[in-house]
Amino acid sequence: MTPFEIVEARSLREAVGMLDPEDASVRPIAGGTALMLMMKAGVFRPTRLVSLRLVRGCSDVHVEADGGVRIGALTPLATLEHSHAIQHLLPVIGSTLRMLSNVRVRNVATVGGSLAHGDPHMDLPPVLIALGASVRVVGRGGERVIPVADLLTGYFETQLATDELISELIIPRQNGRRSAYLKCTTRARHDWPTLGVAVSLAVDGDCVREATVVASAATKRPMRIETLRTLLVGQRPDAKLLRTAGEAAAAALTGELQGAAAYMQQLVRVYVERALRQALNSEGGALQ
Amino acid sequence: MKVSGQIRVRAPREAVFNALQDAPFFASCIDGVRQLTEIDPAHYNAILETAVAYMKFRFKLLIEVTRKRPPSELEARLEGTALGIVGRLTATSTTRLTQEADETNIEYEIEAALTGKLGSLGQPLLRSKAKEMEREFASRLRAAFERTPEPPS
Amino acid sequence: MTPRTPAPSGQVGRSVPRLEAVAKVTGRAEYVHHMRLPGMLVGKVVRSTVAHGRLKSIDLDEARKVPGVHRIVTRDDILKVIPDPYYGPAFHDQPILAIDKVRYVGEPVAVVLAGDPHVAEQAAQLVAVDYEELPAVFDEVEAADSPVIVHEELKPAGTFPDLKHLHGVRDTNIALDFRLCRGDPDKAFAEADHVFEHTFRTQQVLHLPLEPYVSLAETNGLSMTIHTASQSPSFVRLEIARLLGWPENRVRVQVPFLGGGFGGKLYIKLEALVAALALIVMRPVKIALTMEEQFYTLTKHASTLRIKSAVSSDGRVTARECEIWWNGGAYADIGPRVSQKSGFTAPGPYDIDNVKIASYALYTNLPPAGALRGFGIPQLVWAYESHSDLIARALDIDPLAFRRKNLLRNGRPQATGTLVQDMGADACLDRLAALMNWEAPFDRGTSPVRRGRGIAVGFKASISPTTSVAVVNVSADGSCTLYCGTVDMGQGSDTAMAQIVAEVLNIPAETVRVVHSDTDVTPYDMATLGSRSTFHMGHAVKLAAEDACQKLEALAAELGVPRGRNLPTRELFLRKYKMQAGNIIGTGSFIPPYTSPDHDTGQSDNITPFWMVGATGVELEVDTETGHVRILKMINVADVGRSINPRIVETQLSGAAIMQLGFTTTEKMEFDAGQVTNASLADYKIPGFLDLPATTVSEVVDTHQRNGPFGAKGAGESGTFGVSPAIANAIEDAVGVRITSLPITPEVVYHALCAARSEPIED
Repeated sequence: MTPFEIVEARSLREAVGMLDPEDASVRPIAGGTALMLMMKAGVFRPTRLVSLRLVRGCSDVHVEADGGVRIGALTPLATLEHSHAIQHLLPVIGSTLRMLSNVRVRNVATVGGSLAHGDPHMDLPPVLIALGASVRVVGRGGERVIPVADLLTGYFETQLATDELISELIIPRQNGRRSAYLKCTTRARHDWPTLGVAVSLAVDGDCVREATVVASAATKRPMRIETLRTLLVGQRPDAKLLRTAGEAAAAALTGELQGAAAYMQQLVRVYVERALRQALNSEGGALQ
Repeated sequence: MKVSGQIRVRAPREAVFNALQDAPFFASCIDGVRQLTEIDPAHYNAILETAVAYMKFRFKLLIEVTRKRPPSELEARLEGTALGIVGRLTATSTTRLTQEADETNIEYEIEAALTGKLGSLGQPLLRSKAKEMEREFASRLRAAFERTPEPPS
Repeated sequence: MTPRTPAPSGQVGRSVPRLEAVAKVTGRAEYVHHMRLPGMLVGKVVRSTVAHGRLKSIDLDEARKVPGVHRIVTRDDILKVIPDPYYGPAFHDQPILAIDKVRYVGEPVAVVLAGDPHVAEQAAQLVAVDYEELPAVFDEVEAADSPVIVHEELKPAGTFPDLKHLHGVRDTNIALDFRLCRGDPDKAFAEADHVFEHTFRTQQVLHLPLEPYVSLAETNGLSMTIHTASQSPSFVRLEIARLLGWPENRVRVQVPFLGGGFGGKLYIKLEALVAALALIVMRPVKIALTMEEQFYTLTKHASTLRIKSAVSSDGRVTARECEIWWNGGAYADIGPRVSQKSGFTAPGPYDIDNVKIASYALYTNLPPAGALRGFGIPQLVWAYESHSDLIARALDIDPLAFRRKNLLRNGRPQATGTLVQDMGADACLDRLAALMNWEAPFDRGTSPVRRGRGIAVGFKASISPTTSVAVVNVSADGSCTLYCGTVDMGQGSDTAMAQIVAEVLNIPAETVRVVHSDTDVTPYDMATLGSRSTFHMGHAVKLAAEDACQKLEALAAELGVPRGRNLPTRELFLRKYKMQAGNIIGTGSFIPPYTSPDHDTGQSDNITPFWMVGATGVELEVDTETGHVRILKMINVADVGRSINPRIVETQLSGAAIMQLGFTTTEKMEFDAGQVTNASLADYKIPGFLDLPATTVSEVVDTHQRNGPFGAKGAGESGTFGVSPAIANAIEDAVGVRITSLPITPEVVYHALCAARSEPIED
């Protein structure tokens, strides 16, 4: 590893000031779990790291009056995993985190960091997209809010400018929507996902009112499969519909899948069907 | 790692061949080629600067044109070392041109290998970059022929 | 302490908790990684980026500019201190640093020395090496006939007399061509009712102990001390002495604990390099490899195995022909011995009169392959136990019945002609069948998830002949110390050896102090490998303890103490030396009898002092929609003779099986142009807790190795033998497809399912 400078900010605003809009070799570091791997591999050689370790006030979970949830960007994943509010309102996040990396990483990695990293092989982003989440971003020019669906733009690429930081994650009230995340690994159980499928459904009696299906890991960025919305909304979710949805998803993603195409298509087919089934069988988060 | 594909340009085959075997033109179709210098008509030095997101890479390249059969075949070899990290890039490319009406069909096959520290853990990163560069090259090449009826010779 | 009484005192056979357990879990155990010596420099290795090429020039200008760099060492510096810098246990083919050629991506070419490892690492990235690239060969079968030659001339080391005939052989990649012939296989094939032939493949994988290779050398120019994580300190000593042209007694090798070895930390790894560096700069030099660098150091042989059997219509195997290509990588290491010493067990634990074996050790331009837990046996069992099930199914015979019909039983000749003795394959199969409830009907399910079960049995011969020497020292207060060169790498050898001493001297095992390898103090041991230590060092230790006992009895007699008086030991010393003074030193040395095999036929009447047997049974589920395999139950049954420490034996069996499970399902070194592309635990997946089968059972059968110390023999590898084929057999049982290549991934299973439905999927 090449020698580098490390500076510590005490607030997000101070941290933004320490970043350089023109110099990508100055980079923020939160938990550092992903960044360290890239530095050890030698693919990223920073000149300066801006550590967010001492920044206060960005690591809490707030439940809003309207039932939405705001999560500070520096909240460790383990905090989310063990948060009663999250388990109550957004159980799919807890179950996703339990299969995410390992406990040592979760103790240190942060929500904001995992979103800013832009690695396609991650578990949390597709889930957050399915839940309709957004991030608040702070930079020199002020603040803006970006839906997570638009935040991740490509291979390690996000909409964040070089001197912008995520300050919080905003998850809207779910209104009883049922969500599920299925992670497919093809080597050890504890592994990067080969394919991730996140699903969020609003079901009214016997009828699907809203459906969001997101595929990730096998694609360059998490992708909402829009054709499934048309296919599922207004329909009775029986076994045949779920099977058709799986096939439609595989067809929609042809050309986007990285890796062995025919096998990946089969995985998409099967995991979309199973994720839909799991969402339907799950309890929705408590209604607000 | 093997990359292969086809590009069609609206231009006669001879013109396309002349353009491709003109090193400065060829280099202009690749994003990040700097300081292209000719050693002799078959050998060139260059610096390649490329990035994946915020990760930058620089390679020192030696390019050799190994076979020229106008107006249909072109073969080249590339050898490069990464700067600041141990990484060796080698690539051989074979290009075949066929004339189809007023278009030229360019078929290419590139076999590339990345070894050393960069090749050890950086492989998926640079593979995705290779695909991106391929797309960029194709679009620049097409654009060049759309711009002027006869590219520089 | 009283002299030995005939009744067992209960130290052997007791599940004594590991003597070092508390030190290890509280972070107090000593490892070479912790060591710092005054003035020490750290080395970072510059490695080849070419799979095969002539080394033209090395440009150190940019690297030298990095502040803090002490020196950069290349081939010219090495040649000045060690004029013939080639080492290896079987061939002297591996240079300390590349001299004229590089033969694989990752081969060491130069070393940067600095006080700060980060400085050394940074400078190492700036060393520019110029190669003239040569064509490379990677596949083992291709290498046998390839015009691409990795080593122009074979250089047998002379350590093994049976490799002498290879001296001077040129222009081949076949480092060793082992042959065995028994009976008349051609006639048997011609007359057979059925002939079955299959080809199997295994992939390149590696050990990945949590402690990567690390060595530290210090010298004053007259003598040298090497602190190293090595399983073979005696070999390191004699090989370094040979390279330096010094007598053995000027080279000292010290080994504390190892953080795992599994066969990787054998012979010479970093020791020759740090020794040369220490001589060049006259300061202590330490090199500690990263996890990534392990991928460039030593691996397990990938292999292609062809097996053919002549079978009668009632299921008797009358002949077997085995042809094995072992992918040895760029340097031989112990590969030729794998080809030979495991090669002769290629037909399996079966009673077959007509056998033909051809086993080739190949050179290729990949990282070298050597010993890895199992030493080639798991690859052979993968072939013969998959083959067994394929034959059984084709003839509609129950897989267990087929094996029982052909099994090799005690008193019968193995393929080498040696009559097997105390080889419990039948006992293991019987116990496995009982634990699997094999006779009961098995529900395979009807849903997209199908269940299946499979069994496999394998065996191994102990490598022979090898020598172990031990010393037992009884001090004036009666406390007892064992000096023994066996290296505890987590297999519990310290504890087992202490138990043996304690059994003989009738004292609690916990009171025996085991001194770790220090070649100035501990006597010769061949090495800690191949499950040999319990038997060989166990004998030496037992003899040493008995010698100490006899000397104590003689002392008592000398002092006029009546027999059976049971005077405390300290009293004996007091009477002899008039104060608390003196030692009683007992020594023991052991080498088993052995008959060298005939060069052409491979026949011998005493090929090994003992056989190890391991059987595995598996119940699993296959998700036919995705190819995922989930192991519900894994049962391992082994013949280890008498268990010195039952608890440790159980964990050795399950540990071995879990390791082999990784090699079966999740592990594979990926390559592009000879470059390893997944050289990290992030991208090369070893089993974690979530990968363990829902139920794992590890048992031993009740046997007695008559020529073993207290009836014991090796146990460390037996759990690896049957795992891979048991899984493939269970998959075929579940879904009717046969996987012949490792690793068995969901994608591979899914492809096979599609092909079986005549809907092959293209990728």
